[in-house]
Amino acid sequence: MMDIKRIVSKIERDYIISNLKKEERIDNRGLWEYREFQIKSDTIASAEGSADVSLGDTRIITGLKYDVGAPFPDLPDEGVCTVMAELLPLASPLFERGPPDEQSIELARVVDRGIRHADCVQTKKLCIKEKEAVYILFVDMYVINYAGNLIDAGGVSALSTLISAHIPEGIWNEEKHETEWTGKYLTGKTLVNELPFVITYGKIEDIVFLDPNLPEEMVCDGKISISVTEDKITSIQKSGAATFTIDEIKTLGSKSLEIGKKLRKELNLLQYLSKIE
Amino acid sequence: MPLIIKDEYPETLFRKDGKRLDGRDVNELRPIKMEVGVIKNADGSAYLEWGNNKIFATVYGPREVHPHHLAKPDRGILRVFYRMATYSVFDRKRPAPGRREKEISMIVADCIEPLLFLELYPGTSFEVFIEVMDADGGTRCAGTTVAALALADAGIPMKSLVSSIAVGKIDGKKVVDLSGIEDKAGNADLPIAITWYNEEISLLQFDGDMNLDEMNEFLDLAKNALKDIHKIQLDTLKSKYVKLQEETNKSMGKNEKKGDE
Repeated sequence: MMDIKRIVSKIERDYIISNLKKEERIDNRGLWEYREFQIKSDTIASAEGSADVSLGDTRIITGLKYDVGAPFPDLPDEGVCTVMAELLPLASPLFERGPPDEQSIELARVVDRGIRHADCVQTKKLCIKEKEAVYILFVDMYVINYAGNLIDAGGVSALSTLISAHIPEGIWNEEKHETEWTGKYLTGKTLVNELPFVITYGKIEDIVFLDPNLPEEMVCDGKISISVTEDKITSIQKSGAATFTIDEIKTLGSKSLEIGKKLRKELNLLQYLSKIE
Repeated sequence: MPLIIKDEYPETLFRKDGKRLDGRDVNELRPIKMEVGVIKNADGSAYLEWGNNKIFATVYGPREVHPHHLAKPDRGILRVFYRMATYSVFDRKRPAPGRREKEISMIVADCIEPLLFLELYPGTSFEVFIEVMDADGGTRCAGTTVAALALADAGIPMKSLVSSIAVGKIDGKKVVDLSGIEDKAGNADLPIAITWYNEEISLLQFDGDMNLDEMNEFLDLAKNALKDIHKIQLDTLKSKYVKLQEETNKSMGKNEKKGDE
């Protein structure tokens, strides 16, 4: 068992900070290095798409379910995609049972906004019949092991899940006034366009670094998560009590685009497209 | 592959060649894969793939009891939380725990408790979390089986392991290890667990109809199948220590070499 405490001692904190000042980290990474991503897709047979993503020791399993329902009145020809996250008490002694707390809601919301504003899910393709029936997608993330930086792992996990999607294709039967199944599938190929990545940095005193692990996350003053597509920034979330200078944010913006490009190439998420037609 | 339409049940649960829909004989188990130590944060953990079921279990404890008033001054308490992921079933499950999950948590706790020496841990709690990521029939049995492994992985003193399986009747024939569709479309379902230190039954439920002879047969059928599962559990635990030993041997070998230089 790893030694996990709610409070990190002053000595440990000083050790982490003094190392960071020398541009060294307790797990031997550079300041701008990710831990290793491991992705397995379509692992859950009952889900219409799924992914099992590890970022170092952090592990999240995400699944996709769908429902057919009425669209929102202001968007009559668009489907809906919602993201939920649950920090299972099985994943860490720091997580407690009960209704979703701030941390899990933030995780779901930040991942959701990264996807929503990036032209990622093609909501118009999720429309079966205008004003009558649209798909409602549920992307549900379950944290299996918590070792820091849930947001980046969650982002890749949600994205891989959507890419691996295979939902039964429905058409509208005008006479019966209901949805009929064609026997074919809507897959990630149709549903996903842009690939947004969420990139999280931690800040301690005046040092900023990528992908905080658990001890770093516990001692850091604050974090900032930036979602990027190929050439655009689609969402930003600053959390924790740290303050960032304007110059820092500017640098992090361009750094994120750079790291996003690298991730897009290295992870090659499109290899997880469902083979079902 | 999930069914496309909800109530698309097959007319018969046996194929023409007499085998079950997934190609099994009446007393054949689905493929089972177990692993321990999969979740590093936990005191003990285990993972089980049983057919399409995919289940994690972790154990935390002995630790402080929250809320505090549940603590007992003369013994420890065991709490089990069985939960299903929203995407583990055909229709998305509501995220909040339902009545079914609470009931199963309780019966699994009652099933495991006889194995532990709770009187040795006054004022503390053991918490077992069973998380079903993918469900295909028999999750309470699989959950019990994997929870026992996680407890053993945590190094908690136990009288023995417990193994569990569902037996039942489909299309009038007695079978072991019901799959999801056999559970729903079949005539009878009897989950059962045996604690091996006394070879007695510590979990038993039944839905369906059977006569006395059938019940006796079901119990014998289950016991035979459970012996196989118990063996897989023991092998999984042993293989963990074999691996540990190999690793230590390797690293010790390296050190010796260094010493020679």
